[in-house]
This record gives sequence, structure tokens and C-alpha cells, in this order.
Amino acid sequence: MPKKDHYVIIGNGPAGNSAADAFRANDKDARVTIISDEAFSFFYRHKLPQFVAGNIGEDDLKVRPYSVYKEQNIRLRLGQCVDRIDPEEKILYLRHMEKVGYTKLVIATGGSPRILPSLTSFEKHLRFMTGYNNAIKLMPEIQKAKTITILGGDLISFELVKALRTMKKKIFFIFYSKCFWPVELTGNMSAKICANMKKKNIEAYADDTVETLTEKGNLYTLKTASGRTFKSDLVCCFLGLVPNIGYIIGSGIDTERGVLVNEFMQTNYKDIYACGDCAQIYDPKLKDYWISIGWSNAGLQGKIAAMNLLGSSKVVKPLPKSIRDVVGIKIQTSWWDHF
Amino acid sequence: MKEKDFYFNKEQGHARAIKIIKEVRFSEDSRDYGYMAENVPCQDGCPAITNIPGYIRCISEERFGRSYELNRMYNIFPGVLGRICSRPCEKRCRHGEADLGEPVNICHLKRSAADLKSSWHRIKENLYAPTGYKIAVVGAGPAGLASAHELATLGHKVTVFEAMEQPGGMLMHGIPEFRLPRDILDLEIKNILRLGVDLELGVEIGKRTSLKSLLKDYDAVITATGCMNAFSANLPGEDLDGVYSGLDFMMRVNNGERPKVGKEVAVIGGGFTAIDCSRMAIRLGASKVSVNLRRTEENMRIDEHEKNEAKFEKIRIYGLVRPVRITGKNGRVKSMTMERTRLIYTPEPPFRKAVPIENSEFTIPVDSVIIAIGQYPETGFIDTKIKLDGHRIWTSSDSYRTSVKKLYAAGDCVTGATDVINAVANGRQAAQEVDEFLIRRKRKKRIVRFEASAPSDRKRSDDFIPQVKLPVLDRNSRFKKITNEVELGYDHESAFKEAKRCYLCNLKFEIDVDRCIYCSACIDVAPRDCIKLIRDVEVKKDGSYGDYEETTNWRNVVAIAIDNKRCIRCGKCVEACPMDCISVTKVELIEQDLEA
Repeated sequence: MPKKDHYVIIGNGPAGNSAADAFRANDKDARVTIISDEAFSFFYRHKLPQFVAGNIGEDDLKVRPYSVYKEQNIRLRLGQCVDRIDPEEKILYLRHMEKVGYTKLVIATGGSPRILPSLTSFEKHLRFMTGYNNAIKLMPEIQKAKTITILGGDLISFELVKALRTMKKKIFFIFYSKCFWPVELTGNMSAKICANMKKKNIEAYADDTVETLTEKGNLYTLKTASGRTFKSDLVCCFLGLVPNIGYIIGSGIDTERGVLVNEFMQTNYKDIYACGDCAQIYDPKLKDYWISIGWSNAGLQGKIAAMNLLGSSKVVKPLPKSIRDVVGIKIQTSWWDHF
Repeated sequence: MKEKDFYFNKEQGHARAIKIIKEVRFSEDSRDYGYMAENVPCQDGCPAITNIPGYIRCISEERFGRSYELNRMYNIFPGVLGRICSRPCEKRCRHGEADLGEPVNICHLKRSAADLKSSWHRIKENLYAPTGYKIAVVGAGPAGLASAHELATLGHKVTVFEAMEQPGGMLMHGIPEFRLPRDILDLEIKNILRLGVDLELGVEIGKRTSLKSLLKDYDAVITATGCMNAFSANLPGEDLDGVYSGLDFMMRVNNGERPKVGKEVAVIGGGFTAIDCSRMAIRLGASKVSVNLRRTEENMRIDEHEKNEAKFEKIRIYGLVRPVRITGKNGRVKSMTMERTRLIYTPEPPFRKAVPIENSEFTIPVDSVIIAIGQYPETGFIDTKIKLDGHRIWTSSDSYRTSVKKLYAAGDCVTGATDVINAVANGRQAAQEVDEFLIRRKRKKRIVRFEASAPSDRKRSDDFIPQVKLPVLDRNSRFKKITNEVELGYDHESAFKEAKRCYLCNLKFEIDVDRCIYCSACIDVAPRDCIKLIRDVEVKKDGSYGDYEETTNWRNVVAIAIDNKRCIRCGKCVEACPMDCISVTKVELIEQDLEA
């Protein structure tokens, strides 16, 4: 009896789940496994600020219950980290020393926090919130903190501000408008955003940068290039995401900013595809590469990657942009428009 | 050595063991060379075969001077290379293997030995009797100086001819001072010259004197002229003001000039010179500097450390781009047009080739462009018929001999632009070949040395010490003066802590199967899967042992063996063995003096 195919998806976000669903829908017999280092089920990332603020519970975060995976016979391996891929042998090396073989692989590991080079030396003092793992660590610290400094440079930083206001926290907001992610702020948008925040009693400063950040007795002192000093109980950094590909580098799978894939989401290995925020996609019409951003794009790409792995030849295209309201300012983005 | 010589009496303790460490054995057996390559990978990875576990061990014993000397035996520039080495050893360090953390910071430790040794440290030279032979070395770069030093210790009279006004070659003129302070370089060069090496500066061969006359006046000549010609990118607009070759740019800065770079600088290339140029451009006032690669960051030949330092200084690295043309206004560069590339597979190394994507051009504004895509050797000074290999000087295989009698060549002029540690290793080996040619016999030979050793005092907890990061200057202090050294070096405590991470792969733990009673006591105390019940073992081409085939069925066990590739040198097995049948031997690849 021939051995069943084993489709493995690394990543339990929208791209990974969409790929798993497509695999199962088109191949009833194959083994489908999702491996994720997050110790929590598929969740809505945009709800994390409200979650850490204690305004919603874990159940509200979940996109779908575990029973769905059981019904679809998709194996979920949560809290398990892939350390390395051997594409020649088709083996994944997990951190807990287990080896997992696959016949087809989808890489959908999303993004990790973007840390500006100027902030790397202060990394140990910064808190991030890109997933459940770091959100759950941050939660008690946020509850305890009275004053919080936010290095804000993405949409989720504004969501956190909203959530913290409900908790009556004192907030300092250093607005990195010049390296805002994922869209570029134009004209006087940054000034308007700052002004709107100040109206809501948030100390917001645009285009200042961290000069030093020190910790003494759980109190963080942050000094900026313009000479301002902020003392707070917590410093959170939200400057967007970069493709999470550290474990792939050196494996033989081509990477640049992200995992390099063609318009069919295929890497330089025929049985390995990448999709979502971790993929850097070559567009033959554009004659350039683009990195997908956002939930809807990720979902669509996950489905296309799985279908193409099963024999289709669908070409991926970015979804049209839509408008989003950010602290009273309209920003055009295809990110998060699904909600 | 017989087994009984290794016998370690536990009751009499460490002192007894020390007493036994007198007898040594040397081997030229291919199996022992194979063992070294497999089991002491850092030393095997070092082109100069420096005794890395040995000098790291000295640091963990706070013997910094001895550590420096162990290094200097094979690498004449420990202080210099402790700062700028390309670290091939660290790529092979067992600590960097999957699941074992990050490699030991061997390079930083090398530097710590140079920094922390006593100011009045005694330099040790193994001098041979004067031979009366006169040898000329052309070029005072790392290869030339390494060969001059080796020749001088071998008793020859050496004269080094250098075209520049200062010795050091690329070390002096190519590498920025913020990576390599010149007082360190000067000191290590002076230590070479103290052996009576004559240095003639400002002497360009082919002008003041000729190669032919050197070949006539000297018993042998080594040319180590490096790679001092920069490759051109053959771009339209390359002759505009504000377009520099990487090497020329660095040489001008290192000679005290301050080339005008403007605010936006694009560097083309992904090697050490490209990164040095980009970091120097920031120091010269540029605010937006990019390093542009045809392939990707992953394929850059520099180490992660250099990349991270460049990124910390706000340099952006862009992959998959290729310059097409440079355009200017009034003779000065204004913009550069690039095109996108994509990677295709090639069957030969490096297995990936960047090919341009048609009609994918885009233009970026620039105030200056620095082209650092490699260098090639100057051979115009050779006034005699010589065989070349492309731009490089040809040498016969496994030799430094050129097609011209008495003329040898070493370093980048033979290999093309590589790195300093390769140049140093080349220079020494060329010198030994010249010595063999003149003396008509080998006087030094690489050999494996075995010496009984006490078990080390490594602890399992040492395996989990995180890599100790090297302190560096904060960003503002770096830019106050362009010569400010960025890396600050370890203090005693940090060096000691980092040294403790080393697995001491040169200690070979071995079970004498004839005396072993298969009690498994050693397996019980082993902190990891380093002691194995084996049914068979792979025998490699050179006769050395490879991987063990393990078994859990006692019926099939032919031996209990210690896998030195997994051993952490904790010595627990030696303590536990009721039969005292586990021996510890220090195994080193050394250069043996055959005159002794």
C-alpha cells in the first residue's frame, strides 16, 4: 500500500490555515499537519491589544475552535518550534529534537517584530506583541504598569493605545512616522495623528528617536535625540513586521527579505511553497518583488500555495487596497480590511 | 605510548596525573590527521592551523601571554586578526552545530589574549642558526610579512621591498582604523622586524629596481604583492566625479584624505571592502548609505557580525539588484539606474547566479557611488617570462613555486583576493618551501602530537553559557572621530566566561575496550549521549573512524565508545569508571621541528 502524502504547514496564521483547508478539501486521504511555535490556537492578531488589556478573553481571540481541526482530520502541533529545514531530505528539525518528514511543505510563518537597527542594542528592554506567546507574557506587565512608553510605527500600536486608554494608563507615544509600517504616511498625516492623540490626553511626539534606554529597578528611562526624557514602567515597540525566516537561512531555500517565491508561490524547491507575510513574491508583470501584508492576502495566498502544490497553476495577485481609519486619519491599505 | 602510561590513579588525584604528563607521542598516520580534521574542527578550519582549543584553554586559565604566543606560533598577527579575521574557525565550531547554541567567539578570544596579556610580555621566537642565504620578499602585506618572519626565524637574511611608504599592505591601507587601530598593527609589524628583517619602503619593483635584478642578487624571491587593482564594473558613467573604486576610496581615507561623498551613497558589492566603504561613508557625513547586491544578503561573503554592525550604523542592504548606468550633471554623479535580478540555480558553486530581469530598471538619486566588486593582482612589474593564471600568478599545484626559477609567490597575488588569515598561512608555507629549496631538506613538518592529560574540569552548565557579546561603542561615539575603534574588547571576566564555553575538542576521551567490563557506569553518568554502545563503526578513506553504529541489544555490542564529537569533556566518565580504563589525551596538530 503506498504511503500517504504528508502535507506539512509551518505556521498557524491565516495563510497556514487556509492552506490546510485547501489541502484537506482536495485530498481527503493525505496527512495534513500544522506546526506552530505559538502555544495557542489560530487567533485574531488585531484583537491582541484588547486581550492584553483584559477587555476580552481567550475565547474571543480564537478564529475557530479545535473541533474544526478534529473534524477535518488536520493535526495541530502547537508550541513546537521548527529549528531547521532540510529540503534535500524533506525533513523538519524541531527544537525538541524531533524530526518530521514531509512530502509537501508550506512555509507560512508570518512576520516577527521589526526592530530598527538603531534599537537593536536596547532590544532586551523592549516588549513586542506579534503573537499570542509574547502577548501572554506582556499581559501581567501591562496590568501592573502605570506608565507605558510606546514606540509606535504601525497600526497595532494605535490599537494598543485605544486599549490602554480604557485602563487609564499614562501613555507616552513616540511616533515613528517616517518608517511607518506597512504604508508610507504622506503630507501632514503624521502631524494630524499626533494632534488627534494629544486631544485624547496622550503625550505623542512625532519623529523623535531613542538615544538611550536604561533600566533601573524596573523603571525604564528613555532619552530621545531631541533631548526628551521619559520614565516609564514598560517600553513597548510596534514598528511592524519583517518576514520570519531566520530558521530558513542557510537551508538552501532562497531568501532575501523573505522566502523568495515565484508568482505561483513556489520556492526554488518544487515541493516547498511559501505564502503570507513571510513570502517575497516575484511578479513578472511588475518585474519586481513584493511582500504581502495582511490577513486577506495571507488567506488567499495560503489557498493558492496549497492548490498549486496539488497541481494547479494559479497566479497570486495582491488584493486591492482599502481605506482604514487611524486615529481620525484615513490610511489606504489592504491590511486588516477583512475585519 | 602504552596504555599503562596513561594510567590515572584517582586516589592520588590531580597531582599524580600531572606527574604522568611527560610522555608524548607523535604520529604521521593518516588516521590521526583524519581524527584531527573530524574532531577538532576549528583548527582544521583555520588556514594557519592555529591551536585554537589550546589558546582558549590558556585564557580560561587566565594565561593570556601564553595564549597569545600559542597563536603567534602560526599566526604572526594575533592582535590584528583578533579584530578583523574572517573567522573560518567559528563556522566549524561544534557549539554552532544544530541544537548546541552559537559558536564560541574564537576571534574575540584571540583579541582578548592580545589585549589582556602583560605589557611586558615576552615574545618567544624559535630561532634557527643563520644560514647565510639572502631572500627578497616583494610586498609588505600580511603574506609578505608572514613569510619574512618565517624566513628570518629559519636563519635567512630577509629584505622586504614595499612600494608604499608604510608597511602592512591591505591591513594598513585597505582596512579602516575603526576596525583596526594602527598602533596594534604597528606593534605586531615591529615585532617581525626585530628579527633583523630589512624593510625598504617606497621601492616599487620595476622602477627603482627590477625583479630580474632581485632574482640575480638574492638566493630566492617571494612575491606577495596582493591584489591592489580594483575591478571595474564597466558601467556607463563610471568616470564621473563622485564615483570611486572601493579600494581607492579606502586607501585615500587611510592616507588622511576625506573624499567628498555627499548625503546619499550607493555602494556596489557585498564583500568586506564594500561594507568598510559603506561604514566609512557614514563617518564622512553621508546620511543614506545603501549596499547593493546582485544576489542576496545570505550569499554575502562577510560574517553576520559585520553585517549587523553595518545595519546598526543605519546602512541598508538591498539584494537582487544590479547597476546599469550612472548618470551625472556637470561631470558629477547625480543618479544611478539599477535593474532587478532573480536567482537561478547553477550546478557549480556557488550554486546560485543572479540574472537580470528585463525591463525592470529603476533609478535612485545618489551623490556618490562606490564600486567594490573585487580586486586583482598587479603583474606589470614582472619583467621576466612568467606563467599567469588569468590575472593571477600561476604556481605549481600544492606549491608556491612559480614558472620562474627561484621565484615563489604567496597570498592574494596567487589566490585572488581572499582574507588575511589565508594570506598569513600562505606566506608562512611559501617561506618553508623556500627554506626547503635552499637547505635541501624539510625542517618543519605538520604532525599530530599526543600527550596524556588530566581530565578537564568542564561542567555541564558551561554548555549553557550564552555567547558573550563583545561590547561596542554606542553609535554617536563611533562617529565623533572616524578612527574611533568600534569594538571595545572583552575584559578579564568576559574573556574567561566565553573561554569556558569551548568544548576543548582537543581532549580525546577513550575507553580501553580490553579492560572495560561493560558495567555501563560511564553511560549512567554521561550528561548527554556521548558514550555509546556500538555494533560497528564507519571507517573513512584515510582509515580514521567516522560515525558509530549504535545498538541497544547487548548481544550485538562490540564495544563501548566515547563519541568525541558529542563529548563535553566533563570527566564524569573517568571518575565513574571502576576499572580506570578511560584515558584522556591531549591531541594537537602541530609543526614539528625536524632539526631537534
